[in-house]
Amino acid sequence: MSTLKKFADKIMLLDLFAGLGITFKNMFKKKVTVQYPEERWEPAHRFRGMFRLDEDRCIKCTICARDCPIDIIYIDWHQEVNPETQKKEKLLDRFDIDVQRCMFCGLCEEGCPTEPKSIWLTTKTYELASYDRWQNLYVDMDELQEWKTRPAYTDEEIA
Amino acid sequence: MTGLLESVRHALGDTLFYWAFSPVIKIVLLLFVGILPLISYLTFAERKVLGYMQARLGPNRVGPWGLLQPIADVMKLLVKEDTLPTQAVKWAFILAPCLVVGPALIIFSVIPIGPREGQLGHVNWFITDVNTGLLFIVALATVGVYGLIIGGWASNNKFSLMGGLRSAAQMISYEVPQGLALVGPLMLAGTLSLVGIVEAQRDQKIWYIIPQIVGFFIYLVAGVAESNRNPFDLPEAESELVAGFHTEYSGMRFALFFLGEYANMIVISAVATTLFLGGWLPPFPHLLPSLSVIPGPIWFALKAFMFLFAYIWFRGTFPRYRFDQLMDLGWKWMIPLALLNIFVTGLIKLWVSGGFH
Amino acid sequence: MTVPFVQPFADEGLGDSLLNRAEEMELNFGPQHPSTHGVLRLKLKVDGERIIDCYPIIGYLHRGTEKLFELHPFFQNVPHTDRMDYVAAATNNLAYVGAVEKLMGLVVPPRARYIRVLLCELQRISSHLLWLATHAIDIGAMTPFFYTFRERELILDLFEEYCGARLTLNCMRPGGMPHDLPVGWVEKCRVFVDGFLPRIDEYEGLLTENRIWKKRTVGVGVLDPQTAIDYGITGPMLRGSGINWDMRKAMPYEAYSEVEFDVPLGKNGDTYDRYLVRMEEMRQANRILRQCLDQLPEGPIMAKRPRVMKAVKDGEVYHGIEGPKGEIGFYIVGDGTPNPYRCHVRPPSFINLQSVPELCKGALIADLVAIIGTTDIVLGEVDR
Repeated sequence: MSTLKKFADKIMLLDLFAGLGITFKNMFKKKVTVQYPEERWEPAHRFRGMFRLDEDRCIKCTICARDCPIDIIYIDWHQEVNPETQKKEKLLDRFDIDVQRCMFCGLCEEGCPTEPKSIWLTTKTYELASYDRWQNLYVDMDELQEWKTRPAYTDEEIA
Repeated sequence: MTGLLESVRHALGDTLFYWAFSPVIKIVLLLFVGILPLISYLTFAERKVLGYMQARLGPNRVGPWGLLQPIADVMKLLVKEDTLPTQAVKWAFILAPCLVVGPALIIFSVIPIGPREGQLGHVNWFITDVNTGLLFIVALATVGVYGLIIGGWASNNKFSLMGGLRSAAQMISYEVPQGLALVGPLMLAGTLSLVGIVEAQRDQKIWYIIPQIVGFFIYLVAGVAESNRNPFDLPEAESELVAGFHTEYSGMRFALFFLGEYANMIVISAVATTLFLGGWLPPFPHLLPSLSVIPGPIWFALKAFMFLFAYIWFRGTFPRYRFDQLMDLGWKWMIPLALLNIFVTGLIKLWVSGGFH
Repeated sequence: MTVPFVQPFADEGLGDSLLNRAEEMELNFGPQHPSTHGVLRLKLKVDGERIIDCYPIIGYLHRGTEKLFELHPFFQNVPHTDRMDYVAAATNNLAYVGAVEKLMGLVVPPRARYIRVLLCELQRISSHLLWLATHAIDIGAMTPFFYTFRERELILDLFEEYCGARLTLNCMRPGGMPHDLPVGWVEKCRVFVDGFLPRIDEYEGLLTENRIWKKRTVGVGVLDPQTAIDYGITGPMLRGSGINWDMRKAMPYEAYSEVEFDVPLGKNGDTYDRYLVRMEEMRQANRILRQCLDQLPEGPIMAKRPRVMKAVKDGEVYHGIEGPKGEIGFYIVGDGTPNPYRCHVRPPSFINLQSVPELCKGALIADLVAIIGTTDIVLGEVDR
């Protein structure tokens, strides 16, 4: 009986029709496309996007520069006496990150000892493309602080 | 405008005018208003339907629901650079796309979209009714193979040549079962003329798919192989080594090849509709006479679109046959089946008409 | 010491004259090709359509990963391991982290072990889904690609919620896990696990019984068991030939000894059997996920470890785990400093790739595409 069924299967091409049925049913199912740029997909809370620095919280310990697997954080600081409080404190001269090579691994964020962290990657930004070669490649101290979570792509950003 | 027509009619005489002009107008209408837009929108429909089957939306950016996409594609292809390989044979390189598109478009001149004049308006719903319409179609389809071979050879690229030869071998080996499958309705109708076959289906009150189900299946499979479509699209598959006969073509020449493939699809659908599904006849004319209100051409279009949807459906579902398995299928299974079909049809016809006493 | 350059096909004794090899053509299945899954170059000697010989040339994706390991301390090397087999990053991480823990003698808490198993099994499903997508599209079926990527998106969303990245996870550290599971992750994972089995049935309905698929894969690339063992092949390629060797059962690591699952085996060692083995592995991975989610213990997720992790001088360790493509292992030698002295990777794709020249002798070029697909190579791992 099962050989007869297999023979009938082969003749009636039931395996091919089963496949056709699956694709036909999928035509009417809901599509999962996210229509970028009208709809922007929001990353999760822990998403490691572009990083951001907060200079005031930073204690200039350079753990982030040491922890980076590819050594792309360049920190320079010096000690100065603050005229107001008469105490020695560290001031940040240079905090540059080479974004060409950054792999957004998050080890700098993990190493930062301050609470809340002074460098963090969860800005939920993944739109780092730019029309100009010299934008977004080397990010210095000031840019890092002002980096806001960019909104969705708009026409103004082209200019 | 009418003054010009009047003067031409006066010069040519009445019969000559209607004999010469009416087909010309029909050809122009058919080609520029009917077939060429249909081919472009068929590419769009394929992308959309394929997208829906694959859990995604097709193109939907250009125009509302992406409806202007084919126009954007045509414009892009028109302004692309027209390359000509330096060592290529120039006349053959230029001729090949025309040999693919030409026959596909010419076949439309014998396919009836609707009935003769008098039944639905005062016009013949076909450009011409050749007595040997079916033979004409088979002959022209074979000419299309030349385009592939010449295109592959003229490119001066051994991979194109291999691809072109493979494609040509595939098309030739599926011409035979296609022709043999067409013999079935021919025997049942008794005439080679396409209009005659549809009228025979109307008179005998049966669409030929029912007695000729095997022939229909063979014709469908051979048709898919003829137009180099999935699951028989090995010669032009991107993931195989040989990129196909149209590697070296770009711009409008490539567009012509592409158009030729889709025109082939439409031709095979139209011929299958005419022969097996009753052409422009409404289904169940006696049970549901109200359906005859919808004119014939609309029925023809619906049935042909069903076939085109089946083409796209096959592309979305099936893997590809390997080349030797493809030839195996054609020569060892399709041809014996088609011959068996003819034999059995002949026997039944002889028995029904009382030939055995 | 210089390595002598061996001319490919040099042992033919035919000389270079094209007349002697009039029917054979040398073809480059080049580095840029849609179906070589990366930058793999195969130098083929073909006679018409039949392949006579095949000589793979790799190295187009070499990035010096093993050298990079030596430059940084142990815990900083985890992102580098992500990028070897970029399709299955969690298993790479686990192999490295497991090797470091073996070297340092760290004991991982139970909760961390279960979370690691969760991540690895999710990663196994994700890697097999990508394998199915590319294999099917090489053979010509376009739709499984989109369906599998739809499911893969769900898995990547789960990863993103847990460790912050979708593909290059960086989710493990020597000693445990850096983050704990966020609130609601277990429920989302459960939703995925419950809804996944009908999807596998959908892919199988499109392919498994399909006569065209069967014609393309049955009898293609038959690997007999002894050859597989001789080459050192592991993973679904080995199990497709019928040999029951799975590191998760043979040398259990993490929490695999506490969950129940079966190891699917093939019979003939052809492409169809390996396809069935991988589909069944996805189902078993789903089963493991369900058990892990039920049995997840509470507790700490990071072991007590010294602040600066120095390896034992001249301590060496090898730790291999069952990745989706085979056994991925790390051989680490310490020298008393926080950096490893030498860190060598045993990449499964590199070793499985050795079998391709043998499998494709006498096959057609169309079969070569199927064979490369069934070997499931990722060039990041082959070249490191």
